[in-house]
Amino acid sequence: MNKTEIPTEIERFDLSARIQHVIMFTTFLLLSFTGWGLKYAYQDPASAWISFWGGAKMAGIIHRVAGITMLLDFIYHQFYLVNQFRKGGMRPTLIPMPKDVVDAFHNFMYFFGLRKEKPNFGKFNYMQKFDYWAVYWGMFIIGASGFFLAFPVLVSPLFPLWSIQWIWDVIIAMHSDEALLAIVFILIFHFYNEHLRPEVFPMNWMWLTGKMSIDQLKHHHPAEYEHLFGDKKEK
Amino acid sequence: MAYYVHTYSSDWCVIKDQIEAAWIYHYYNMKGESMRNWLNALLLLLFTLVLTPAAYAATDAATCLGCHSMEGAANVNQEKFTKSVHGGMNDCTMCHMVLKGAQHQGLSGGKPDKGLLELAAAISPKSKVDPIAQASCVNCHPDSYQTYKASVHGQNVIVKRSSDGPVCTNCHGSPHYIQPKASKESAVNHFNIVETCGKCHEEKFMTDKYAFSSRVMERYKESFHGRKLKVGHKNAPSCADCHGAHDVKSAKDPSSPVFAGNKVKTCAKCHSGATEKFVAAITHKPMHPIAHWTELALIVLTMSVFAFICIHVLLDIFADIRERLFRKGDNHE
Repeated sequence: MNKTEIPTEIERFDLSARIQHVIMFTTFLLLSFTGWGLKYAYQDPASAWISFWGGAKMAGIIHRVAGITMLLDFIYHQFYLVNQFRKGGMRPTLIPMPKDVVDAFHNFMYFFGLRKEKPNFGKFNYMQKFDYWAVYWGMFIIGASGFFLAFPVLVSPLFPLWSIQWIWDVIIAMHSDEALLAIVFILIFHFYNEHLRPEVFPMNWMWLTGKMSIDQLKHHHPAEYEHLFGDKKEK
Repeated sequence: MAYYVHTYSSDWCVIKDQIEAAWIYHYYNMKGESMRNWLNALLLLLFTLVLTPAAYAATDAATCLGCHSMEGAANVNQEKFTKSVHGGMNDCTMCHMVLKGAQHQGLSGGKPDKGLLELAAAISPKSKVDPIAQASCVNCHPDSYQTYKASVHGQNVIVKRSSDGPVCTNCHGSPHYIQPKASKESAVNHFNIVETCGKCHEEKFMTDKYAFSSRVMERYKESFHGRKLKVGHKNAPSCADCHGAHDVKSAKDPSSPVFAGNKVKTCAKCHSGATEKFVAAITHKPMHPIAHWTELALIVLTMSVFAFICIHVLLDIFADIRERLFRKGDNHE
């Protein structure tokens, strides 16, 4: 292999990561569809929508199975990360850094025409980090509360006596409101960035190929390009 | 016209014939006869109208419906009645034992016994029209009556003679139209009973007079139980599944399934292994301030993120458009 050559594309997501993503979004959609019917049970289309999913009982089963699958996917991802770390070569590219705050500020300046260029984004820009860590937030808030709600008898002894007057209402609010937040976030932010932007429409094929072209990398993640091929730029 | 009446009932047919006879009599006697004959005819007509029912003592549904299917205060929808659980009962006086008014003279059914009369008197504040008929459910449904009588509803109505508690018809609807409990049209159907209970329990007087939680219905409806019931979950509990139906008791009554000491057993009907700590999950009390403020904080968070990402996406779009319009061919990569 010629080490001085710059490849035409690089792999950003390996097969395992891509499969994790497919499981994540499949279960996410199932959870959103079935949960929506219960959250808005008193809105007219809810009953028809729930019967589309096979009735209240079946919708409940789908929701629970999808929820547990998603939690397992999330847990698997932690092992995946550990494994990546052990294999070596893992850089902390997803950890939020002070640079992200500066990047966000610069990006807004660019939006308003106060800067000529987009910020010098690294492997993952602040929006992508936000996207990634939003899943952790969702897993801890929605996943945990969902688990509590699915097995209320099992988990009720865990709560201290002074909390039982309000803890279940808090859990329900956490599950329902944060699920709405997750849906809204995916529907607007993730869908715009990965589906609707003219550059990627109808979708960013990276979810299947895992690969990004060098031009894309240079344009959207210049700092990463610099890191990978900085010394080979002039061929 | 005559045929139309014929279709209604044989008794009406007889009446009609007699009316016609009277008119024929009248017609032939008008010529050259005196006013007395005319009056005779009229008397005969009235006699016919008033006494014919008495002569036959017909109290079958068809006879009664001859009048009572017409628009008016005491109107019974024959079609709906026939399809009701009581549609096969053909004798109106089984319940309407004592009939008022001259038009019903001579008509009566079984004689109400002392117990029924007492019950009718007790529920008379609830039943302005026909307390005896309203009380007469107990003749055929004695077990339900005994259960109801011991309930907080029954005690309130029968013993305390309050106008607040329900009698049979308040929950089940008019006896003329009662549908089987499994029917979607039944007021006490699993999926309808919450609304039926809510007719009273959603009212403010329940809070003021009986110290009920002010948000009973609202809190139930927003709970998982209420939502699941709403979207058609057959196993989701309605009011009656925990509180009982005919045997509903005050939660302060040790025999109530929702009395403090009985909750564990009641919840365990569905949630096997329920504990004291678990049963605290369901109350119909207004939301605790901590829960209320947490929910509010979460809503604020959701709205803030929503606003942020919307603005971010819009600015991104505008910046993209600007780039494409004004910086085309500029020093971009």
